[in-house]
Amino acid sequence: MSVLFTRRQTLAGIVGGVSAGLLSVERARAAVAELVWATWDSNAHPEYVEPFRKETGTAIKLSFLSSEDAQFAALKTGSAKDWDVVNPGLNGAWRYIDGKVLRPLDLARIPNRQYLYAPFKDTPKVVGKDGATYAVPYLWGLNPIVYRKDIYKDEPTYATLFDAKYKGQLAMRDYALESIGVAGLYIGIPRDQVFTMDDSQLAEAKKALIAQKPLLRTYWQTIGDLTNLFATNEVTCAFSWRVPYDALKGKMAMGMAKPKAGIFGWCDTFAIPTSTPDDKVAAAHAFGNYLLGPDYAMAIAEIGNYATASSVIRDKLSHDKQEAIFVDDMSVMNSFMWPVAPPNYSAWLKVWNEVKAA
Amino acid sequence: MTAGRSLLALPMVLLLLGGAILPLAILVVISFWSVDFDAFELVPGFGLASWREVLGNPTYPYLIGKAVLTGSVTAGLTALAGYPIALSLLRVPQRWKSVALVVLMTPLYTGEIVRIYAWRLVLGTDGLVNGVLLGLHLVQVPVKVILFSPVSTILALVYDELPFMTLALWIALERLDLRLVEAARDLGARPLTAFVRVTLPMTSTGLCAGALAVFALSAGDLQTPNFLGGPTGATALASIDNFFGTAFDWPTASALALSLLFALGIVAAVASLLILRIGGGAVRTRP
Repeated sequence: MSVLFTRRQTLAGIVGGVSAGLLSVERARAAVAELVWATWDSNAHPEYVEPFRKETGTAIKLSFLSSEDAQFAALKTGSAKDWDVVNPGLNGAWRYIDGKVLRPLDLARIPNRQYLYAPFKDTPKVVGKDGATYAVPYLWGLNPIVYRKDIYKDEPTYATLFDAKYKGQLAMRDYALESIGVAGLYIGIPRDQVFTMDDSQLAEAKKALIAQKPLLRTYWQTIGDLTNLFATNEVTCAFSWRVPYDALKGKMAMGMAKPKAGIFGWCDTFAIPTSTPDDKVAAAHAFGNYLLGPDYAMAIAEIGNYATASSVIRDKLSHDKQEAIFVDDMSVMNSFMWPVAPPNYSAWLKVWNEVKAA
Repeated sequence: MTAGRSLLALPMVLLLLGGAILPLAILVVISFWSVDFDAFELVPGFGLASWREVLGNPTYPYLIGKAVLTGSVTAGLTALAGYPIALSLLRVPQRWKSVALVVLMTPLYTGEIVRIYAWRLVLGTDGLVNGVLLGLHLVQVPVKVILFSPVSTILALVYDELPFMTLALWIALERLDLRLVEAARDLGARPLTAFVRVTLPMTSTGLCAGALAVFALSAGDLQTPNFLGGPTGATALASIDNFFGTAFDWPTASALALSLLFALGIVAAVASLLILRIGGGAVRTRP
């Protein structure tokens, strides 16, 4: 059976739909003045979220995370009830889903999801046992070794971070997962086995980290802290995020190394906690949709040198910019290691405490 | 005091019970529980695994001992620095004393993280101290051991906590009858002897109050050792934070937190008794 509409009915439908849409936007404006987004301090540029405020009237207030694990613990223990949108890592998303701290997402409210690169669109890591999707990847990149090109003639590898020749100039992150992971690669554990190291392998990694301690200038706490350490000549080589490279490359001879032993990749997702009030859920979905749209993607590519998980602006970028944010050759993602909380994570933490206290 | 007046203290007693004792009681209970790491749930029960880990692994007694040492050294150094400052403040004209109080508390008006980065600017490779040393040709290359070491941690803690010690000593000195010090001097006591035999015993309550405050604040500081201690900056507090926040291992975190609290409490109690004994034989002024 076919259904035909008259021109009048069609126009009435369009007007009605637009009116309803406008009314719902007005209602959203009236209802949600602010969303609190728990995210990393690398998202701190106001330009990233200002278009969303202009479009919807909802301001985004940032609450900075200290670590992925602290975010999970805060949600699990209910100490972060003011967070409306959270930022689980793709590989740790299962913890949040199993821990029942996230709301299932209504994907119909996130139409920009259609632009996701295939590895992110098809990932089963954000799908719960009930078949619902609880998170959407929105930003990804890699954690390189950042170094001073004027001091290191050859591109550093993980062995450089354990080399006595550079005593007093090196830094590692004060974070068990990455630092023990780096030590695992250094002692020769294959990259696909690093996050499932057994007790004897962990003991070897611990030995390497204790031997490394006298060589370190410090353990860095935040990425702003590490950038400051580079800027003040305290550190010349560190396991890092790319932030110090971008912040200082115009002022110092900065380099960024991607060791062949394995590159720590990362991917942030967007998710809505169960504690988000019902009247904020629609606005939170709209913000998730915004994170996959062109405004956020362009701003974070230009200012932060990060790529979103969405292909929406890829073809509009110059080749240099594509190269800078690692989207010129998408096969790079195949060589990444994706850090994941190990099954024996508490044992990793105990090893890290012992290393720090040694 | 009448029963009616005693009731005035009831809200504060309830606040202390609710705000301090209840959370501690919860920590005690959780320290015997376990964690189901598959479901990320605390499992009620009675087990000693967390206590065995905390008391049996030498890392944690070491970190607790380090907290005690940090608190003790900082309290001792602030007392040494605080007495001369408090004695100077005693001689400030009455009308300027409120200004002196504001100046004394100035370090506390800035946030801890601001003070930490300020110390980095002073002690760092390109910092003020190295600039002076290099400028005077006293060193050929920047001295690196003064930042990211126990030295920088203690220095920053002494600076941070000095107002608490000085204020307590200043209040105690204001109550001291200075004629007793003058009498000691008139009878031939040297300045140091008069200080040790008269001033110190008669201000021991202030010293005790200041030392307790400084000890507790510095032994429990997390950010200063984290940001200024470098590879030596490990603390029991950071481990507790790791267990609570990162590993979701609340039982071990609770056992470690209670062990630290117990050790700090014992040391503070013994130190208080010893300090107050200094004042045991002191001449008392009449009210």
